Amino acid sequence: MAKVVCRIGAGAGFAGDRIEPAVALAASGEVDVVALECLAERTLLPALKARAADPQAGFDPRLRRRLSPLLPAARAQRCRIVSNLGQANPHAAGAAIAQLAGELGLKGLRIAAVLGDDVLAQREHVAWQRPFDGTLVGAHAYLGSPAIALALEQGADVVVTGRVADSALFAAPALPRLQPGEAALAGAVTIGHLLECSGQLSGGNFEPIGGALLSAEGYARLGFPLAEVYDDGTAEIRLLDGAPGLLTPETCTLQLLYEVQDPARYLTPDLALDFSAIRFEQVGTNRVRVGGARSHGEPPTLKVAGFVERPGFIADAEIGFAGTRAHERAQRAAEVLRLRLSDWRDDDIAIDLVGVNSILRAGSPAMRVPPPELRVHVSARCADADAAQQIEDEVYALTLSGPAGGCSVRSEKRSRIDVVDGLIDRALVPTSIAWSTT
Amino acid sequence: MRPRIGDLASGRAGDKGDVLDLTLVARDEAAYARLEAALDAATAQRFLNRVVPGPVQRHTLPGLRALKYVAPQALAGGVYASLRPGLHWQKAAIWLLLDLTIDDEDRVHEPA
Repeated sequence: MAKVVCRIGAGAGFAGDRIEPAVALAASGEVDVVALECLAERTLLPALKARAADPQAGFDPRLRRRLSPLLPAARAQRCRIVSNLGQANPHAAGAAIAQLAGELGLKGLRIAAVLGDDVLAQREHVAWQRPFDGTLVGAHAYLGSPAIALALEQGADVVVTGRVADSALFAAPALPRLQPGEAALAGAVTIGHLLECSGQLSGGNFEPIGGALLSAEGYARLGFPLAEVYDDGTAEIRLLDGAPGLLTPETCTLQLLYEVQDPARYLTPDLALDFSAIRFEQVGTNRVRVGGARSHGEPPTLKVAGFVERPGFIADAEIGFAGTRAHERAQRAAEVLRLRLSDWRDDDIAIDLVGVNSILRAGSPAMRVPPPELRVHVSARCADADAAQQIEDEVYALTLSGPAGGCSVRSEKRSRIDVVDGLIDRALVPTSIAWSTT
Repeated sequence: MRPRIGDLASGRAGDKGDVLDLTLVARDEAAYARLEAALDAATAQRFLNRVVPGPVQRHTLPGLRALKYVAPQALAGGVYASLRPGLHWQKAAIWLLLDLTIDDEDRVHEPA
């Protein structure tokens, strides 16, 4: 008879995620670990820049805001915390957490920082998937679960990492308690994958057939899921009692396949997973059983994400029109911009109408009634800051020299960052643990 | 009025680098069979290519009543290279499939 060996709460699915759901999970006494994913692919780049400016920086700047309520709640329930909010500097994050815990009066807390993901120094050994132009400003390997599991086994109350596979954050706590063999491990890593986007498993970013939305209150207080993991790698996924949300086989299937390219071979550092035989079963309100994960074994290499800074910017500017005939005036303004910006190659510029077709373009459903207000949008690839300024100026110039009532202009420019993927022999990526205590 | 694909399935869009991935989960076995027959990779590509470039591959997961469409070159340069307003337009890309319509003979058409 399979038994529950670990209860894992999904505390965050991105760096800016809500704070309260993790606190609610930790305070419930119904989870052994709260895991928080706080490091999207590109979130690492500002962290690298912060670290270059200050060797004690480069972790999530939200660390104190996120952990101030979470650490005491977790401590009171003997719940442990795992997070990649160490970003580009898990070592400094560990020290910052120890300092915060001290200030909060939490004595004897053991904090483990998992190190080793930064492979910029081993860049010669990375097989990049494509050649790239520009400056490689960072290269980080996606670490797997074992280093996190080891830190927990050695008594860590908090484990903080840099780049690890998102699934590893949520799978690691179950690892040491699973039945031996790949099937149970495949199950645990799959459960990690299901939990890694927090509310997206439990009703967020989900529209059921027919279009019934959750109430505003439901979205505003959306519960984050937890998994009760069995020793055979199956699990029951659920919400805390009374937490708003929707957890069904449908929401689980959408999350299982989210950002997966080949469902029969989903690569994680721990295992190459086969999701074809996964089955979900509704076993109660907002309660789903999951099982059936299979594996093709441990991949010989780890994925590396490299950041390449390219010269130039994307300029992104908008101008609004409102009132009677707003649509005609906006269309005319868009035509004016096309004339004024005819030097740009077609591939390097987009001019469209926000409220009509700026997102789905030719795939947009037909407009039946013109909206009472809308915005003309232009985005353009620009070789330098001066060219980006020219785009912004041309949009502003419409307020004086374009159709009447051009208003509410806003603009931004984004630097051009390429993420290049590569592979590295896992033997070249040793991990270590740095401890801090209060 | 013809039903939408979105009357037969729910869906979600995701991305990794240049790759756009679209998932449909059919409401029941009959809807799955209908979508599996009607929305093959070539048909999906024909409609997606009006908006994003490149080939489309399909994976079928009958046990989950799910169809997975993967377009490896759709988001050339990734989300930061996009010329849409703001970031992450691709979160809405699933409506490129959900808003297609399907007739009595299971032919797929543009949004109504």
